[in-house]
Parts: sequence; C-alpha cells; structure tokens
Amino acid sequence: MTPSAIATDSAVADPPAVTTARAAEDAPARARKVAPYVVDCDCHHVWRQIEDIFPYLPRRYVESIKDFGPMMPKYPYTNMRNNSGLAFRVDHAIESDTDLAEFTIENHVEAYGIDAVLLTGSSVYSAAGLPDQDYAAALCRAFNDYTLEHWAAKDPRLLMTIAVPVHDPRQAAVEIERLGSHPSAAAVMMPAGARSPFGNRFYDPIHAAAAEQGLPIVTHFGCEGQGPTNPPTAAGFPSYYLEMRMARPQIAQAHSASLICEGVFERYPTLQWLFVEVDTWWIPGLLWHFDADWKATREYTPWVKRLPSEYFRGHIRVGTQPLQLPERRQDAAAFLRWMHAGEVLVYASDYPHWDWDEPTPTAARFPKELREAVFGGNARELLNLG
Amino acid sequence: MTAGEGTAAVRGAAERRPPREVAICRLDELPPGARREVDVGGRHAVCVFNVGGDLVALRNLCPHRGGKLTRGFVGPLVTGDAPGRFRYEREGEILHCPTHQWEFDLKTGCALHDPRLCAKTYRVSVRGDQVILHT
Repeated sequence: MTPSAIATDSAVADPPAVTTARAAEDAPARARKVAPYVVDCDCHHVWRQIEDIFPYLPRRYVESIKDFGPMMPKYPYTNMRNNSGLAFRVDHAIESDTDLAEFTIENHVEAYGIDAVLLTGSSVYSAAGLPDQDYAAALCRAFNDYTLEHWAAKDPRLLMTIAVPVHDPRQAAVEIERLGSHPSAAAVMMPAGARSPFGNRFYDPIHAAAAEQGLPIVTHFGCEGQGPTNPPTAAGFPSYYLEMRMARPQIAQAHSASLICEGVFERYPTLQWLFVEVDTWWIPGLLWHFDADWKATREYTPWVKRLPSEYFRGHIRVGTQPLQLPERRQDAAAFLRWMHAGEVLVYASDYPHWDWDEPTPTAARFPKELREAVFGGNARELLNLG
Repeated sequence: MTAGEGTAAVRGAAERRPPREVAICRLDELPPGARREVDVGGRHAVCVFNVGGDLVALRNLCPHRGGKLTRGFVGPLVTGDAPGRFRYEREGEILHCPTHQWEFDLKTGCALHDPRLCAKTYRVSVRGDQVILHT
C-alpha cells in the first residue's frame, strides 16, 4: 500500500472534521408550524451507552452488566446506516459529547415549533424479551428515571412513555403507579413483540393501572421474536430488514383485534391505545371486515357489544408514520375518510430515524381541514395535554 | 324450512291486488318453534313463524343481500358482560339469515345491529282454528 493511500484512508476516517462543518451548515431553519398546536407522538430517545442508566439500576444488575453485558436480545436485521450507532439520521451530526436531548430539542422540537413530543424510547423495548423478569423490570425503572432526569427535565415539551416489563404485568402496574402522576408521564409503552395479543387478560393489571392513572398505552413495533416473544409473523421469521418492515401492520392488526374481542374497552371505558410505526393503510380494510364479521358472529363474543369499528374509532389511535397515501389528492382524501383519519390519526415523526416523516411535507399531504386534528388536536386529547 | 314442513301454495296471486287474507294452515299445524313457507304468488314467499305462541310473518328476503330467511337458524339472543360469560335470553326469537348469518329479531323483522335494516313483515291472525296471513 502506498503512503498516499494511507493518507486517503485517514482522511476518510476523520469524521469530526466532516461532521463539525456539516453541523454548522445544517443549523435548522425555523419551519412554519403545521397546526396551531403540534404534537409528535413518536420521537425516539436512547441511552448513549448502557452505563448511562447505572445510577438508577440496582447493584446486582450493574455488576452483571459489567460482567456479561446487558444480555438484551437484538433484532437480527440490518437497519439503515446511521450516525454514531444511535440511529440518528446520517445528516444529523452527533458528536461524542453531543447532549442528545438538547440536540433533539434544537433540531426537532424548536425547528418545527412542536408543542409536545412523546419520547418513545427504542433500545428499552428489548426488555420485554429478557427471560429474567426482575432484571427487565429494573431496567425499565432505570430507563424511566434516566428519561426523567436527562430528557424530560430539560424541557416540559418532552413527555415520557413509561417503560414497563410487559411480560410481568404486576410489576408493570407497580411502575405505572410509581410514575403515573408525574407531570412528564404521558403514556405507557408496550412494544409490539409479545407472548400473547394485548387484549389477553394476562395483561389486565397493565390495562387497569393505565386506566386508573388516565394514561394511554402506546404500542410501537419492537421486540418481536426476541427472547420469549413470538416471531414477527405467524409464518415465521422474515429473512431481511425490508421483509421485517412489512410485518409490522399485521402485528398491530392482531393486537387491535384482540383488544376489541377481549372486551378491554368495555372493562376500561376510558382506556385509549396508540399504535405507532405500524402503517395506517390497513385500517379501512380491517374495520370493514371486522364489522361485517361481527354482524354474523356476535353471539360467540357477546361482550363485544358494539360494532368493532366503534371501539376502534373511540379507543384506538394510530401514528401517521410511515405515511402511505395515494398520489392523487382526491384519492388520498377518500382513503383518509375510510380510515376515519380525523378521529384516528395522530402525527408521528419517528425522529431521528432515517425513515422519519418531516412535519411540513407530511402535513402538505393532508387536506387542510384534517391538519389541526391530525397534527395536534387528536394527540392533545389522547395525551391529556389540556 | 326443515324437512317435513309443508308449503301452502296460494294460486292466482301474481297480479297486484288490494290486501287480502290467506288461510295457511290449522293452528295446531304451526306449534311454537315451527315455521311455514307460504307461496303468495309474488316473487318472494312469506315465512310464518310461531315464536313462543306469537305468530309473525316475514317476506322471505333478507334486506341485506336477499338471503332466504325461512331457511335460517332460529335461536336465543345470546348476551354476556365479560369474556367467557354467556346469557341466553328470548329463546327462539332470533333468526340468523342463512346467507351471511346476520341476526334478525323475529318480532320486528329488524337486524339486531341496525334497527333500520328490516325484512318486510306481515300481519298474522287466527280465525277459528285457521292461521290467516294478511298480505
């Protein structure tokens, strides 16, 4: 290898020079607000490294992580090339000392005039795939305390989803009760990967605690096929990342059907459920088929007292991202009517991931009369934001 | 209609005519739980049910997609307030259209899930020992 080739390599491997220049260039212009009150229902936050949550974690688990690593299951799929291994978009410059919360506030919340963002976590989803339920519970508790101190405390617009050990509903309920009345706590997170669908009575303590605290439950795809949870599809494991992404809507459909058929919303008439990053296109078809079949099979599940679509429209909300709509405006308007978008959809960005939906161009795809509800109003009601 | 039940054909009713009365059968031939399909000469037959002693008649045409109501299962209204809990009410009063299994209240002819979706009903009376259908 020639000396010049070595020099070239080192120049390429010198990210700070590149990213610093880029950071200055990319100082965000302030975008016009897309609605009078804007809420983003899916903004990811992470720990930089597992050590960030050590101050909140019992000694037993700190020691075992030091000895054995976090032992958290991982998705056996690629994602997209990203910045700093933290899943930030490649055009966002994250330095080793960047405060992620402040970066998010400046580049996302401030940049688009967002009034409230729901911090949805991400790496913590895999806690539901840990066979050791006490470790999972401790990890969720520690992540919640980390979120409160290092994220929510920095800005009242940052709202927390309470991470819970989904597979240990009693401990999950205790955590919901511990944090439910905190002013930053806006929802409970149940990532989609599960051992049984979320309407199952196994989860009743979580339903009850969330209803009691007046918090909606949020399901983001995640943890499918990890540890003791079921594979991402009933047909088995997808082989590829693209294929896995196509599995998300069916998981949300399964959980939605379960919540309705198990009578969860009859038992907890105030409970609301939010699905994020599971697509939206399936909503019309599911509701049409669900209602038609209910008319025929009502007597087998008579505790489902109303049309399934009524429960869906009354209790289930779905994040807009990743938004798929027909290109022609009149087709898109019809499609949005079919999914009852004015009631059901809430804006979700998925910031800072590569496939995020930026507020301004996303809003432009909606008819004007829907923007106030979809980009703020519906979520404001869902998250009790006054 | 199940095997063994008869069809009373009424002749000469093809053209439109003012309301009329048709004697169908003797009352003891239509005991509680029984039904009888009656050809009144129009495009659709009429089905007369004895619902626990009350006689009701429906046009044999489901208002949803035209199923033959007379062939449907008749059972109770099943209700329940919690998963796994079932209550049986109104025995013999609920008709399930055989085509799509939608439930209809025999007493009104209307779908349980939509009171605006109703099969056409007819009055039935008893004169002497005869069941009279008023069409």
